[in-house]
Amino acid sequence: MLLLDAIFIGLLEASPLILAAMGFTLIYYLNGFMNIAFAESITYGAYFAILFNIVLGTHFYIAIIPSMLMSGALSVVVYLAIFRPALNRGVGPTEMIILSVGVSFMLRYGLILLVGPENMFLNEPSIKYLQFFGMGATNLQLIALALVLLAAGTLYWMIYNTGLGEQMRGLANNRDLAMASGINPHRTSVAIWFIAGCAGGLSGVFTGVFAQVAPYMGWNVILITMLVTIVAGVGSVRGAVVAAVAAGILSAFITLVTKPLYAEVVLLTAFIGVLTFRGARTA
Amino acid sequence: MDYLIFSISLMLVYIGLAQLLHIQFGLAGIPNFGVVGFWGLGLYGTGVLYVKLALPLLPSIVMASLLAAVVAYVVAHLVLQRSGQAILAATLALAAIISTLVVSEKDITGGVQGLGTIRFPFSDLDQSNLIFMIMLLVVVCTLLWISGKLRDSRLGRQLVAIRDNEELAASLGKDTAASKRWVFAITCGLMGVLGGMSAPLHQFLVPYQLAPSLTFAVWIALVLGGKGHNLGAIVGVFVTFGLFDILIETYAPVPAEQAILLPNFKLFCYGVLLVMIIMFRPLGILGVDKPRVRAVPKPVPGGHSKPSVEEVEP
Amino acid sequence: MKLEATNLTKAYHAHEVVNIEKVTFGAGGLEGLIGPNGAGKSTLMGLLTRRIAPTSGTINLHSDDKTHALNPLRSHQVARIGLIKTNQRIQGFDSLTIRDSLRLAATPPRSEGFTSLFSRQRDSEEIEEKVSRLVEAFPFTDRNGYAMSGGEKKLLDILRCLISEPKLLLMDEPTAGLPEDITRSVMDMVRERVLAGHMRVVVVEHDLPLIWEYCDYVHFLSEGAILFEGAPEEVKANRVVAEKYMGV
Repeated sequence: MLLLDAIFIGLLEASPLILAAMGFTLIYYLNGFMNIAFAESITYGAYFAILFNIVLGTHFYIAIIPSMLMSGALSVVVYLAIFRPALNRGVGPTEMIILSVGVSFMLRYGLILLVGPENMFLNEPSIKYLQFFGMGATNLQLIALALVLLAAGTLYWMIYNTGLGEQMRGLANNRDLAMASGINPHRTSVAIWFIAGCAGGLSGVFTGVFAQVAPYMGWNVILITMLVTIVAGVGSVRGAVVAAVAAGILSAFITLVTKPLYAEVVLLTAFIGVLTFRGARTA
Repeated sequence: MDYLIFSISLMLVYIGLAQLLHIQFGLAGIPNFGVVGFWGLGLYGTGVLYVKLALPLLPSIVMASLLAAVVAYVVAHLVLQRSGQAILAATLALAAIISTLVVSEKDITGGVQGLGTIRFPFSDLDQSNLIFMIMLLVVVCTLLWISGKLRDSRLGRQLVAIRDNEELAASLGKDTAASKRWVFAITCGLMGVLGGMSAPLHQFLVPYQLAPSLTFAVWIALVLGGKGHNLGAIVGVFVTFGLFDILIETYAPVPAEQAILLPNFKLFCYGVLLVMIIMFRPLGILGVDKPRVRAVPKPVPGGHSKPSVEEVEP
Repeated sequence: MKLEATNLTKAYHAHEVVNIEKVTFGAGGLEGLIGPNGAGKSTLMGLLTRRIAPTSGTINLHSDDKTHALNPLRSHQVARIGLIKTNQRIQGFDSLTIRDSLRLAATPPRSEGFTSLFSRQRDSEEIEEKVSRLVEAFPFTDRNGYAMSGGEKKLLDILRCLISEPKLLLMDEPTAGLPEDITRSVMDMVRERVLAGHMRVVVVEHDLPLIWEYCDYVHFLSEGAILFEGAPEEVKANRVVAEKYMGV
């Protein structure tokens, strides 16, 4: 039963992480670098939700949509203003990560300068506590899980069954060939960054409503998002989902058995293990 | 005055760390995002040995640094032959492991309650903080000198070759994996030394000091100053820590309500500077510096030539 | 030093690209390896340098009465035993000047340890002399600076290999990208060293006149197998070679 508990709790807790991992992987796959500034897509998603839910008084479920879309728009702006020019200048993958740290700092501390460093809270819709086979969950968590599954399914369908997905895979695998066959890299990239930003924003909205909205919320999960993406391997959205779910379950399992901190240590050590054994040797 | 001595001491630690990162990344091409982890092993290692086992400061620092070096050597075996991104992620993860363990193993480290107090050597003297600052200055100057020697040496040239094209270097007989491992282990051990020396500076250790912000501050300083230049670390730390943490925070006349926001403004500026540098001047303020080598004169028939210092310009 | 492959095969999805019963390189001074396009020359080179893993068979290095199996070795170990290959695609060290690149290749790894920080002089007179001799012998645009064009980088790659004094040098299409007079200078230098007994060489080439002029022994590869090998005159006169290669 411990395992079932762990799976259930893991899935619930992992739902925002799964969304974040999907968005992060999309960018990693398309452009080949780890975008640490993606953390701010998550954070800004939550803050946009504050804007709509608290400042403008919209109901939470309705506020989700514009929050997500604005997060996507922000992602596109950052791509067009900074990351695309940098890629065009030939900045290498390691330097791109450093650049993304700079962008992350700009966005996060700019946000703090604008709205202050205090935690904020979203207006949760009425919470109903439900029971499943002796395990408890709130309706909010279940809706989050449902949305995640919906988003994951939609994303999966998009990548493997639509023209956009084909274009993205084409660009990621062989840019010159893709462009030669008529794929417009600019439009495809903008679309992908928009979708990734939306995924991050949605992740942030739910993280915010489960706990609180704080400037560091995205930054706090970016490490584990990175882990999950790397474990999944570049370009596998499938893999990212699986890895996120596995991370959530493993984390929940270890937390139930020992101290929560050990969960982190085990995950991180497993992460280093994966890095050690996968990938090509350089000489 | 005491606060200035404290600030300068902190700045010296940052310069030392950035200099070591210059060797790791600027020369050898190893992107170490776990700087705070190795520094932290030195910091907490020293703290635990000093406070819990009542060892004197110097042996504590030495043993803690050895621990940092050993951990670095193991990590090097695991990930240094993988891609740059993998090394970045693995070192980042390692630093997170270390800071998490410091919190969880509170019987040894004091956990979130903290660990203290670590005093300066010669603590009965009035000027012990000044003396310590001078000791730090000596250590950092030695690091700078060694770094320069490295740049001008055959080992330095091998590291640059490895950074540029590791496979090619290996095909010419260089054991690139071993060179990288040893350089990484020793420089991380030295980061541990700086960590150990930071223990009496902070006096009271808390896990919060092991947050990744230290790693990022060092990276930003180095990238700004010039990752490939021997003096890039100094310039970078002066322009970030020196300018913001010392000059502006201490001396700029800012009203109290806005003063709280100052650290955030500083970090915002760091972000902007980092983006600018990578986009427009990736080699940093100082650019690249070339090895200074005594040139052997080309034999001229019947003539005399004096050896001259060859500084090759591109 | 000899490089010997026995029962060496490489197959991609049941399509056999290389199938060599036995071939020995390095027994005959300056050797050539020729074959039409698609014969499997690149694959064979990849196998001999461990870039590609064989499907079956063994490759052994014989040096100083010692025999080493090639595949378990790491790149630097292979080079230290004495087997070095020039690069077909342009490879170099962008931050190193021409001279520094050559000094690097000429310096034995054992003197590149930590003690080298405290040497009074970075490179010995002996190494400087070797470097100068090579650099002066070729018309680089900026002898004290960097290799400029693709041709200079290719030449520098070959010179790096030469200055590291290999026992067996594999030259992978040395003429590609180089003007003819440079190639001749390089091959003259190579032949000098082979005649002096300092090294053996295997040249993989499409430029047949070069092969006939410089090689003492030629291996003919076609459709993944060594169909014929012998002295240049024999290979030139062989009917199978003529059919497969020169379309006669």
